[in-house]
Amino acid sequence: MNLNDPKLTAYALDELDEPERSAMSRAVAESAEAQRFVDEIRGLASALKSEFAAEIEKEPPVLSSGSESALELAQPSGRTELSRTLTDIHDDAWFWSIARPLAIAAVLALLAVVSGVAVFSLRRGNVQLAQGELVRLPAISSKPADVEGEFQMPMEVSPPPATTSSSKPPLAAGAPAKAVNGVATKSSSLGYALNKTLAHPVSPEEAFRDIRQRASEFNTTTYDHIGENPFLDAKSNPLSTFSIDVDTASYSNLRRFINTGSLPPKDAVRVEEMINYFTYDYSQPSDGRPFAVHLDVASCPWETSHRLVRIGLKGKEIATDKRGPSNLVFLLDVSGSMMPPERLPLVKQAMRLLVEKLTENDRVAIVVYAGGPGLALPSTTGDHKEQILEALENLQAGGSTNGAEGIQLAYQIAADNFIKGGVNRVILATDGDFNVGVTNQGDLIRLIEEKAKSGVFLSVLGVGTDNLKDSTMQKLADKGNGNYAFLDSLDEARKVLVQQMNGTLVTIAKDVKIQVEFNPARVASYRLIGYEKRMLRKEDFNNDKVDAGEIGAGRTVTALYEVVPVGALSNPAASVPPVDPLKYSSDERSASTPSTSSNAMLTVKLRYKKPDGDKSELVERAVTDAGGNFGNAPVDLKFAAAVAEFGMILRDSEYKGNGTFAAVLEWAQEGKGSDATGYRAGFIELVRKAQALKKG
Amino acid sequence: MRDGKIETGQHFEEVIKRFEIPLRQYAERITGDREQARDVVQETFIKFQRNGALRRDDQPATWLFTVCRNRALNVCRKERRIMYLDEDLIEARDSEQPMPFDELEQKEATGFLLRIVATLPARQQEVLQLKFQNDLTYQQIADIMKTTANNVGVLLHTALRALRQRYGESARDFIPFKPTTTKRK
Repeated sequence: MNLNDPKLTAYALDELDEPERSAMSRAVAESAEAQRFVDEIRGLASALKSEFAAEIEKEPPVLSSGSESALELAQPSGRTELSRTLTDIHDDAWFWSIARPLAIAAVLALLAVVSGVAVFSLRRGNVQLAQGELVRLPAISSKPADVEGEFQMPMEVSPPPATTSSSKPPLAAGAPAKAVNGVATKSSSLGYALNKTLAHPVSPEEAFRDIRQRASEFNTTTYDHIGENPFLDAKSNPLSTFSIDVDTASYSNLRRFINTGSLPPKDAVRVEEMINYFTYDYSQPSDGRPFAVHLDVASCPWETSHRLVRIGLKGKEIATDKRGPSNLVFLLDVSGSMMPPERLPLVKQAMRLLVEKLTENDRVAIVVYAGGPGLALPSTTGDHKEQILEALENLQAGGSTNGAEGIQLAYQIAADNFIKGGVNRVILATDGDFNVGVTNQGDLIRLIEEKAKSGVFLSVLGVGTDNLKDSTMQKLADKGNGNYAFLDSLDEARKVLVQQMNGTLVTIAKDVKIQVEFNPARVASYRLIGYEKRMLRKEDFNNDKVDAGEIGAGRTVTALYEVVPVGALSNPAASVPPVDPLKYSSDERSASTPSTSSNAMLTVKLRYKKPDGDKSELVERAVTDAGGNFGNAPVDLKFAAAVAEFGMILRDSEYKGNGTFAAVLEWAQEGKGSDATGYRAGFIELVRKAQALKKG
Repeated sequence: MRDGKIETGQHFEEVIKRFEIPLRQYAERITGDREQARDVVQETFIKFQRNGALRRDDQPATWLFTVCRNRALNVCRKERRIMYLDEDLIEARDSEQPMPFDELEQKEATGFLLRIVATLPARQQEVLQLKFQNDLTYQQIADIMKTTANNVGVLLHTALRALRQRYGESARDFIPFKPTTTKRK
């Protein structure tokens, strides 16, 4: 894949129209390099957007500061300097009705004819620039001379002779200036032959991790399109590496959408967070490790010729009374935006639930932040409940948000009261609307990342409704060695802070990474469902400096792979997703690599660190496909599959296969199990509502 | 086809509110001068009021940026600051470009990336600003800059690649920005 193709950038910025977008999407999916490039471009775009936005925010308006000046402006004759002769040709009405489409069409028509440069079609423009349509435009191609003349910038210096321009190497930014020279010259400077100028050495990977991670954020705020993990060829990509994710926010967020009568936007649907919202009945570790690993294989219900592989982790349970002493700092956003009942009042109720559970061994401090940070309660032991509850009660929302200062203060207090071997955690509750101080997301995230090194963990409790902030909070939790839950109700608060209190508060292993090695003798291709924001490079697996997810006491983490078995290739009835053959390595070479002697389908390797450790430990498990059917699969696998497919349907994923809401309901019923908590019944209810919404 | 009349007063104010600062930033990046940028924007709005507001209620963005750009370039010409054009005509010698680094450094809130942006050729800066500050499409940007959408694609691609490159370099060296090509006092 050619990274010098401007179309790749256009794709990353979602400027391509169909069918080019799909074609590019497929091409990108096949190339890890291109994927990285696209991610980096999106990351850069996101970073640029926020910096450009900051530039706007810090400017005071002059004209629009009051209606008076605007009205004054409406009387231009009063001010001599403003009554200057206006010469712009754009005054004329025809500019809008004729010139623009004409000029564009004409220029492009000529382009297509004269130079044969590929013209890619653009979305949202006024003119559809598909090549086929250009053929119909020669009638207006006599216009460009006029149009060009009219369009000329007022002070063009005389253009360089055409010969000089053609003798030069292709210019990057120089091209547009030559455009004034005439249409023909314009076309010659338009080619994509930028390879020479752009052949800089690519910068070190490390430098881009940060910016790559912003890519998804760009998606959620502006673009519908989150690139889903594609099917990858097991021969050329035998390793699949990702970080575990214990966040659950996406599920409660989309539940809020559906319960209020609308289907969630696609980008709000993160399948792994949906799957991990539910607790699965995996058995506990018995080998002294902090967690147990469970592997299952069954047929894939939405594409029966494929296999579904489940990787389940179960963190060691810690009885409530065995929890170590806790040093908690509530960091509560009390800015004006937190005023609605489902924000600060809900947070206060949630905190009250948690405080009820604390004992004299625990400490709580409350830091609030609005215009400036404040200490609402110094670190106080858990037996002084009334004092704590009173401090909570007195909190009022008002003012703007200086998140960064609050974070500084909260971590300072957590460090001052640090309990070695205990639970040290900042619990941040916010709608994410940081609008004073360090508002740049990157800076905020760097701050959290720095603070996380102190051994203090972070929980982020999101409230409110804004989708944009969702990504900020996810990122904060990710970088702050933390977890992120979205509180849409008091019930959800009870689940996160009471029922799963130890899972939320007590980290039993950190930087948990999974690397799956597929056996190409058994697996033709595979796809990791969800976890798009958690993908790691294969070399990150053994690099202990690379951050990954944490697992809490008793928590379960589940990942699903959809696998195309080698046998499916020879079965005409099977659906084989397109995976392009390798271009640069011969098939013989790669065909000799697989260990055909092994029956194993795949090997799962896990690395994790102890909560206070720096060195990772390794666990390995292999699994062989016994050919089991989905019908006989464990109930938990059925349920997880139902949740995954529900997510894919909501995302309108190209990988959703034959699944329907009705099928999801059926699998979820079969996989409901004992459902002591009632969450699975709640899921089934939710699917029904979504089904009804879809029907309209 | 178009409504001949719309409620101009209110609409006009909304347009000013929405576009004043983005236009000023845009004009400032072209002229390099705050005061002139203000004048340019004021003139742009007057023009909009006189000629545009009445019949162009739908999509003022392209119109405003186009007029603003012309005015800003006019100012540059009057000031004999032809650098803007020069640069395009000569070459994309972005790497050895003298940059207004000192000046930019004094703007405290200027982000790290924007400082790198300031070292790019003018037209690349312009597309970045139109795209990422004003969220315009390739086609709208092409209309404003009087070029083609394809060309906007090339410019943007080139600019982002250069940014990506330099971002990588500066992150590697742990220096906020590599000042090797700047002239420091």
